Amino acid sequence: MALTFVRLKLRVLRNGFRGRPGKVILFVIGLLAALFYGAMAALLFLVPFLPDPPDFGAVIPAFGGTVLVLGWILMPLVWFGVDETLEPGRFALLPLPRATLLRGLLVAALLGVPAFGTLLATSGLAIGAGMAGGPLPALVAAVGVLLGLLLCVVVSRAVTSGFSRALRARRTRDLAAVVLAVLAASLGPLQYLLSSGAQQVGTARLTAVADVLGWTPLGAPYVVGLDAVHGHWAAVAARLAITVATVLLLLWWWSSSLESAMLGTSGGGEVRVRAATGTPVARFFGRTRRPRTAYGAMVVRELRYWVRDVRRRASLITFAVIGVFLPVVTNLGPSADGNIVAQSVHGGSMVLVGALAGLGIANQFGYDGTAYAMHVVTGVPGRVELRARAVAYSWYIVPLLLGLAVLNAVLRRDLLQLPVMFGTLFAAYGTGLASAMHASVWAAYALPENQNPFAINTGTGVAKSFLAMAAWFAGMVLALPVLLLVLLGGTVGAALALPVGLAYAVGAVWLGLITAGDILDHRQPELLAAITPRT
Amino acid sequence: MIPDSAFALQGLVKRFDTKVAVDGVDLTVPAGSFFGLLGPNGAGKTTTLSMAVGLLRPDAGRALVLGHDVWRDPVQAKSLIGVMPDGVRLFDRLDGTELLTYQGLLRGMAPDVIDARVTELLDVLALTDAGRTLVIDYSAGMKKKIALACALLHAPRLLVLDEPFEAVDPVSGAAIRDILTRYVAGGGTVIFSSHVLEVVERLCTHVAIMANGRISAVGTLDEVRDGRTLEDAFVAVVGGRVSTGSELSWL
Repeated sequence: MALTFVRLKLRVLRNGFRGRPGKVILFVIGLLAALFYGAMAALLFLVPFLPDPPDFGAVIPAFGGTVLVLGWILMPLVWFGVDETLEPGRFALLPLPRATLLRGLLVAALLGVPAFGTLLATSGLAIGAGMAGGPLPALVAAVGVLLGLLLCVVVSRAVTSGFSRALRARRTRDLAAVVLAVLAASLGPLQYLLSSGAQQVGTARLTAVADVLGWTPLGAPYVVGLDAVHGHWAAVAARLAITVATVLLLLWWWSSSLESAMLGTSGGGEVRVRAATGTPVARFFGRTRRPRTAYGAMVVRELRYWVRDVRRRASLITFAVIGVFLPVVTNLGPSADGNIVAQSVHGGSMVLVGALAGLGIANQFGYDGTAYAMHVVTGVPGRVELRARAVAYSWYIVPLLLGLAVLNAVLRRDLLQLPVMFGTLFAAYGTGLASAMHASVWAAYALPENQNPFAINTGTGVAKSFLAMAAWFAGMVLALPVLLLVLLGGTVGAALALPVGLAYAVGAVWLGLITAGDILDHRQPELLAAITPRT
Repeated sequence: MIPDSAFALQGLVKRFDTKVAVDGVDLTVPAGSFFGLLGPNGAGKTTTLSMAVGLLRPDAGRALVLGHDVWRDPVQAKSLIGVMPDGVRLFDRLDGTELLTYQGLLRGMAPDVIDARVTELLDVLALTDAGRTLVIDYSAGMKKKIALACALLHAPRLLVLDEPFEAVDPVSGAAIRDILTRYVAGGGTVIFSSHVLEVVERLCTHVAIMANGRISAVGTLDEVRDGRTLEDAFVAVVGGRVSTGSELSWL
């Protein structure tokens, strides 16, 4: 039965590629990237098994494994989404026992580029254990690696379906956001330890942390190989038991949320009736003072959609979480004093976050899906369309960025830095917005028309997000001049940072609007075709 | 020059991968006509209409709306037509009133005109109560009606409707028929696709039958019927299979 699911997934994947060379190329790029990083990580995992390993060798399995598992938890939420090629709702009408369905979906989920990359990376543990201790430790390590992979896949499924359920319901929405924030922030201490630990905390402290991690599900499956080589068989048994118990628990959680995912697609739910006051136009604009024109209408509609659309809401929340977490972590780092390295790290984090903020609109048309047809038949001018969307998005993001900069300045106890931070942050936001605008016109892609805000279509999701990453990168590179001005300009540079950064941002957005807008005028039907889900 | 054809398609072609969906469609819709585009599933009706209104770029051919080329002069052409696409989502996280108002503002209409027309349209289509419900919670028939209202709002000279009678209950169907008949009587032109032959026979002045991406028969209703019922004419043109009575004996 599970085999049927595997064949189904492969078939869906293959049919998705048919007649779309671009999609195949992206998929191959994704695969090559997975091969490269997987092989590099595998070599790293071999280090502790070398005949004469360096000091830090022993902590690699625990830390590496933890990073992997956390990556599987967070990446689908914040970046890639989960591959819902086989969407549970589609099986709702078939007479399948839940256990069979679960097994089938699990096996199908194991079949993918990220799972392949993870397996390749951790295979280094089994090979190393074999080299150092012979066949039995190799076998134990292999079991650990496989269990670890299972853990990764199950945890990502369980967490995304749990969160999508929570984000859907009005009552638990805010709670879900908070949990997500805490979860992401939990990466903070870890990153701190990794970045500063080696030099400052010393190997002894690192080993202590690694020991603790090794007894949590995060690290347990990856440490068993080393235990087996050293002959700690009781530890092996205990750690494997911890892993198995965690996997079973997560499976149970996933299976219970599966039920609601299947019900969700067959409609139902509360009917939302809204209050009526005034004439239609007055009601449409409410208290906002936007012009009563096509532009004003689009801004208002976009403002509503960022709140009412689960997908968009999820992406806003996610950005808020990363945006707070990333610069805070770099600022709590070891050297928060005034040397040039610390300053570049700090300025760089501003550029990183600013450009990332712009990325929120990289698939802005994909969010609308075929509803965008209304703009096509009406013939909305491209520049007006993009301007309205950028303004509405910035309405939510700019206050967030302001708050973020203030938070950072307070944490560094240096409010005088604020103008400089605003300058770099907004310059990067401007360039990020401009490149994301182009990405949204050139590289839009269809999102499945279901309720899971984290779902993406077929196996090309990873590849598609490479394009978004390219836009992010472009945004950062374009903002470099302002960063260089701040870093190398001394007091003059610091004084100029704010006006120059703001002017730079306005210029970048204006240029992006004009160029991308004119392209959009000629690409409306192609864009509509790109964001239409193939059913 | 005042064209006597409201809508002219000339040699429209569309290929998907290797499959030719529309294979050279020429069609002239006279001004003031009520034009029915018939055809079995997969004949290329939706593809043709999508190319004709600017939703899908044709591989070859032209589409003229009252003399304006949809692909060369889109701004003029698009302001003259009202479109109701099929199988397309609406901005369904707005409520009915908001959606109509939004459409009016996109078309650049004056706020007071929008206010009057939106209220009246919702009333005529029996959607007044639903005007405060999010469109995502509408039934399929209500979605059809609000989409039709979107197409009508700016009082276009030409209406292009894809499957306007699908999933619509008899009462709403009668209301839609009534509105369209009055619209044509007032000088407007309607072209719609359908496979509900009975409605087409009752409403249309002109009919075209599509099969396999081509127009197989076209003319006034009587010309196409040629003394038969429309159903017989349709089956004769399209070439359906005739039941022998022995299939599906296990049912």
